[in-house]
Formats: sequence, structure tokens, C-alpha cells
Amino acid sequence: MTTSFVSSLARKKLILTAVGLPVLLAAWWAFRPEKLWINEKVDEPVPFASTGDPQPVYTGTLEGKAHQTSGRATIYGSPAGKQYLRLTDFMTSNGPDVHVLLARAGDQSLNQEIVKGELDSVELGPLKGNQGDQNYDVQTSVDLSKYNAVVIYCERFHAVFGVARLDQF
Amino acid sequence: MNHNFNTAGTLAVLALVFGSFLPVFAESGNVKTLETGTFHGKVHSTMGRATIYQEEDGKLVLRLTHFKTSNGPDVHVILIAGTDAEDDANFLKGGIERVELGSLKGNEGDQNYEIPAGTDLAKFRTVSIYCERFNANFGAAPLEKF
Repeated sequence: MTTSFVSSLARKKLILTAVGLPVLLAAWWAFRPEKLWINEKVDEPVPFASTGDPQPVYTGTLEGKAHQTSGRATIYGSPAGKQYLRLTDFMTSNGPDVHVLLARAGDQSLNQEIVKGELDSVELGPLKGNQGDQNYDVQTSVDLSKYNAVVIYCERFHAVFGVARLDQF
Repeated sequence: MNHNFNTAGTLAVLALVFGSFLPVFAESGNVKTLETGTFHGKVHSTMGRATIYQEEDGKLVLRLTHFKTSNGPDVHVILIAGTDAEDDANFLKGGIERVELGSLKGNEGDQNYEIPAGTDLAKFRTVSIYCERFNANFGAAPLEKF
């Protein structure tokens, strides 16, 4: 009685191990749970010889607000520390006293077509043309992690023509 | 009949004109930035930027920067024929066409992947970090013209 009980226990143990171990192994292979804690960091250089030319630092696409606006806004930085904004494939409607500004991407007034009060912004200059590629100098003192949106802004009517929220390039 | 012939002739001339421009680009000796986009993916938190460059010899390279995703088994980098992809999307089930770029080199950090010659970037508009074992999209970056 006792021996058969013990042997049945041993048999159960054996079956459990025979079935359980492969199941556990299969589950481990499938899910590789240790990868949740293990990171594989890489740091490959750019795949081509980097030139001394200015490189893109931030970029984003323009969305129309009060007026249809489209294109790409990119901030370039040169190794010497100079930085500028370049608009490409750019198009907006023409208007009076239109300026290019940098503002805070999270600023609620950018969600409206008309800004009430003053917009917390950095002036880059009057819009050079309502179509085509164009550059604007950005002072090195400007904190681009704070002013991380490009705004095409009509000063006369406080109208937001278009906004591009910038992401790190 | 005559009209058709003229159309064909015009097309041939146009093809010649545009064709002659192509070598000029290739010889310009510059690396061109063709496409870029940012990753989104919440289920397996994925972030960073995907950019496609064209090297002087015409070779296409995908580069991931500021990149981070969750580590996982058998994760690959692929291009899919679509304008975007949802979290955990199963491309196998969806029968979506793809271009394999290789196993993910690391779940963090800057990394480059060669894109096979002849890949039509007008068709393959999204970069996906894809777990082959579970057929799940970890994160996707829809591409836009730079």
C-alpha cells in the first residue's frame, strides 16, 4: 500500500517533469522573457562619409490652420554652431504681414485659427514668398527644445496660417 | 492611327528627356535624403526616426535614429506596401507585400539597413519593426518626402 503510493507519486513526478520541462523550455524559447530586462544597444555611424555641410537637426511637416499650408520645415545646424530653418515643397496662401515664427508645440493657441492675445514666440522674419524653398536664420541663443514648432503667422490678423511641429531628426 | 503614333512619339521623347536627367543626379556626388518619418507604437513602446538616404552610387539605405523599441524574439525590420500600420497588426494574415531588410540589430540606438536595389519607394511607404515569431507589428513609421 505504502510502496505503491510512493511509486505512484514518483511516477507522477516523473510525468510532470517529462511533460513540464519541455513545455517550460518551449515557452521560454517562444517568449524569451529575459529580453524584457536585457537591452541590445547599438550605435552605428552614418553610412556615408559625413561632410562639413549643415545637417538636419529637427524636422516636421506643415499643417494648414486658417489657410491651406503644406510642405516641410527643417532646422539645419552647421558644425560651426550656426543654425537655420529651411522650408521645402512649401506652399501657403499669400496675405498681409505674414511672418515665420518659432513657438511652443504644446501652446494651446496654435490649435486655433486666430490667436487671442500675444503668442509666445521667436520671430524669424517676414515670409519671403508664399511658395518655394526658403531659408531663415535662427539665433544660436534660441532654445529649440522649447520653441519646437514653426508657425506661419499673419501678424495683422493674428491668424495661424500653418504649423509644423518639429521632431528630432 | 496617325494620332496614336504621335502620342507614342511624344512619350518616347519625354522618356528620353527625363532619362537624360537621371545620370545628372547620380553624378552630383551627394547623398540625398529621400524620405523620413517618426515611429509610433504603444503596445510595444517604439519611438525614433526612420530616414531613407540614397548614396552617390544610387544605393538606398534606411537609417534609424533616436530609436528605441522593446526587445523581443526574432524581430525584423521590414518595409510594407501601405501608408501606415496599427500596433500589433498581423501582416501575414493581411497578406501585405513586404521587403525584408534584416534582423533588428539592436532595440536601442542608431542603426543602418541596406534596402535591396529596385525597391519601389512609391509603393513601400512604411517602415515596420516586426516580430516574425508572433506576426506582430511592434511599431511603424509612415514615410514622408524629405
